[in-house]
Amino acid sequence: MLVDVVVTLVKIGVLLGLVLGVGAYLTWLERKLAGHIQARLGPNVVGPFGLLQPIADGIKLLTKESIIPRGADVPVYYLAVVLALAPAVLLFAVIPFGPGFELFGREIKPLIADVNIALLLVFAMGSLLVYGTIFSGWASNSKYAFIGSLRKAAVIIAYEVVLGFTVLGVVLLAGTLSTVGIVQAQVERGVWFVFYQPVAFILYLFCMLAESGRVPFDIQEAEAELVTGYHVEYGGMRFGAFPLAEWYLNVMALSAIAVVLFFGGWSGPNILGPLSPYFWFLAKMFGLVFFVLWLHWTLPRFQARDVTEIAWKIMLPLALANLVLTAVFLYLFGGE
Amino acid sequence: MEWVIFGFLSAWLLVSVVGAVLVKNPVHSILFFLSSVLAVAGVFLLLGAELLAGLQLIIYAVAIVVFYVLVITTIPWEKVKRFEGVYKRELLFGLPVVFVLFSLIAFTVARGDLAEPIGAIEDNVREVGRTLFTSYLFPFEVASVILLVAMIGAILLGRKEG
Repeated sequence: MLVDVVVTLVKIGVLLGLVLGVGAYLTWLERKLAGHIQARLGPNVVGPFGLLQPIADGIKLLTKESIIPRGADVPVYYLAVVLALAPAVLLFAVIPFGPGFELFGREIKPLIADVNIALLLVFAMGSLLVYGTIFSGWASNSKYAFIGSLRKAAVIIAYEVVLGFTVLGVVLLAGTLSTVGIVQAQVERGVWFVFYQPVAFILYLFCMLAESGRVPFDIQEAEAELVTGYHVEYGGMRFGAFPLAEWYLNVMALSAIAVVLFFGGWSGPNILGPLSPYFWFLAKMFGLVFFVLWLHWTLPRFQARDVTEIAWKIMLPLALANLVLTAVFLYLFGGE
Repeated sequence: MEWVIFGFLSAWLLVSVVGAVLVKNPVHSILFFLSSVLAVAGVFLLLGAELLAGLQLIIYAVAIVVFYVLVITTIPWEKVKRFEGVYKRELLFGLPVVFVLFSLIAFTVARGDLAEPIGAIEDNVREVGRTLFTSYLFPFEVASVILLVAMIGAILLGRKEG
């Protein structure tokens, strides 16, 4: 009993440290990548290859003066930071990074919560992110911030619905909502679900971009019209927390879920012995993260009106058709 | 251990519910309400009703509350309505009803044969799905038709002519 609690606490500590650290270093990767895409060098002054840049940024953000806008609702203003960060971190609780292994005679699974409603939790946390957005915009008492937050809320509501129906196709194939179960279903069949559900994967990719506020769906940020969206009135590390949650943690978590759903999770040829599953999982996950960053620095942005229209009028019917077709095929040829 | 978690969740739930009633600012009130919904999801999880907890989070905490939030935050309250004090007459009528209801519930719970699980259920999700589409198929379909009608009505109301 006590050992279980300790094991879980250790897992949470390791995961938090890794996720937040990697999240911070993704800023370096993104800036480096953006630099090379735009024929620049990117950060290269602080440390070798600019590797100490995220730390310098962090110190700068932490030591900045804290400014609260006039007329702001102070408790909600602070609460919004927590509301934005917490669901993004909680998303990682249900991600299985590898198969279970034995340590001192105990079976340890490299995920925090192996529940049979894991995917429901993913949707729930993904949608709870909307509150950080709305309340940060509202509490700042600023028109730009508020318009940004309303746009983002509309996007999240629309794409969360599409996301749900998209993922149901995979759930039908795997017959379970548990992330571990879905990976095992793919390992047993020896086929990644992306080959069975290509339409679902493409829709998921769009939803992922929209949920994490990445180009071409980043209408909530829209520097040209809205300055920088719903967190424009925040200063210092509080300003840093929003992009960290939205652009980095969320992208990583949703990429990891995509790997679980469509790319067979930790499956892959054994090349590194016991570390092989982790290598494959992280390789696939960061491959997707790289793809998202790549799109971000290449594509232009949709109009605000188009983003929600695409979701409701094109993607939702597609997702529904995909779901019905999958169900019919499973009924005819699945054979249980 | 379970009692510690249950105590924590119930305290959280009670504080949020009382807060939602007493706070003057409507946005703070909806935040307390959101917090109470999350606490209820925690209670469901503790009781082993995982599917209910997940649905509580998705449907109540997000789908429903988010529309309250959208409406409440877009209304400039300082122009529309001021705090009018506690509604004394409503309190006078409401309080006895609350007491009677609470004592009835307490009596049923104390007797102890309320909502006892029939047997161990392995997989919440599968079981609920099976029941919905076999024994409760007709009520389920009726509910969906009612929702569909409501949705069509909402679209009709919100549509601009021309």
